[in-house]
Amino acid sequence: MSYNSRASSNPKYTVNQNIVISRRGSEGHCRTPSYIRGKTGRVERYCGNFRNPEQLAENIKDADIIPLYRCVFYQHDIWSNYLGSKNDTLELEIYEHWIEPA
Amino acid sequence: MPHDSLKMGPHDVGGETAQPINTADHGMTYWEKFSNGLRIAVSSKGIITLDELRLTAESFGKKYFEMEYFKRNGLALVERCKQRSFFDEAEFQNEIQTQKKNFEVPIVKLPDVKKINHLHDGVEHTHEQSDFQEDEFGEGPPEYYFEMLATAAILRKKNLITEDDIQSRIEKFETVFPFRGVSVIAKAWYDAEFQNYLLKDAKSAIKDMGIHLESFADIICFSQSETTHHVVVCTLCSCYPRTLLGMPPSWYKSRSYRSRVVHEPRKVLEEFGTTIPETKEVKVHDSNADMRYLILPQRPKGTDGWSEKELSELISRDHLVGVRIPKDVIQ
Repeated sequence: MSYNSRASSNPKYTVNQNIVISRRGSEGHCRTPSYIRGKTGRVERYCGNFRNPEQLAENIKDADIIPLYRCVFYQHDIWSNYLGSKNDTLELEIYEHWIEPA
Repeated sequence: MPHDSLKMGPHDVGGETAQPINTADHGMTYWEKFSNGLRIAVSSKGIITLDELRLTAESFGKKYFEMEYFKRNGLALVERCKQRSFFDEAEFQNEIQTQKKNFEVPIVKLPDVKKINHLHDGVEHTHEQSDFQEDEFGEGPPEYYFEMLATAAILRKKNLITEDDIQSRIEKFETVFPFRGVSVIAKAWYDAEFQNYLLKDAKSAIKDMGIHLESFADIICFSQSETTHHVVVCTLCSCYPRTLLGMPPSWYKSRSYRSRVVHEPRKVLEEFGTTIPETKEVKVHDSNADMRYLILPQRPKGTDGWSEKELSELISRDHLVGVRIPKDVIQ
């Protein structure tokens, strides 16, 4: 795993912006569950900047401090066979480098 | 199952089909408490990061779910200590033997019960069964406990941790952490102004109560309402507001809960006896990074004029994770 430059600490996305979670694989430790990759939702809030856990897991002492967001998704947009109400939602925290504009 | 090709490892279970949830909490043995205290001491002192420990557990592959939670996390710590060269295998094995010696106690030779004749109410008889049992299960600590003791002993010798670092954490998990969340919620029910503050900025509101949360994470509080029901999970491991609620219950760490609550929350809630009407939104929070979540239940009806202390007696941990709802009080 390589990180060519220090990540920007200015949040790129705004509240309520439609976004999609990157649909790509990962190696090592990562906090983006596979079930949410490739799914479309929106930014619920910007949580502040935190150290990149993917680097922390490798004992990289000066791990990048990067923007973290809470993103919200309709359950029906995540699971094709979701059985509950169409209003049901799921929220989770996603680091900026896993987010793309929708 | 969605995105099978993107699965990161055995821990990435969100969306899998799994067993019904065993909603009982079976508590912790002393060696589980010790292993947990040691692991938290090591990570909170920055000796090994939490993410390194998570990665090591994740790399156990098939063995990940073959081991129960505390053993898996304990052995991940041992493995990472070796990878980081805090000790080598020979040093470690040597220390395990030293630790085991502390457990060697003389075996008491008890007489055969069937050969003892004695008097009960003046009548001589023989007992068919032993009068007592040595201990509840008749077995000692598991093998991994010695590995945890050995790890602790080596890290102490190297002045990386102290015994107090471990014991103080075991103690706080028993006597402090489990009661904080309840007191925060009771205050929020009692004091509307505090409730607004808590929902707006939970970390500051809790701090202003005089509670110092020994945690890197931020806290967000969500209120159950007539329109939304919140429930919290961590699909990737067991993120939980430990310094606010104590240790997560057994079911929270279970494969079933972690797999299922994200894709069939209503069914999971039913297993806890919680029925949410179709007209109400169910919102699942997958607590996967640097935020931790506290759920504020609606204040039960029939509690007008109650004191904070009386209100606190209606609150249980399960309410604050969102799997159960406190019952209204019938006057």
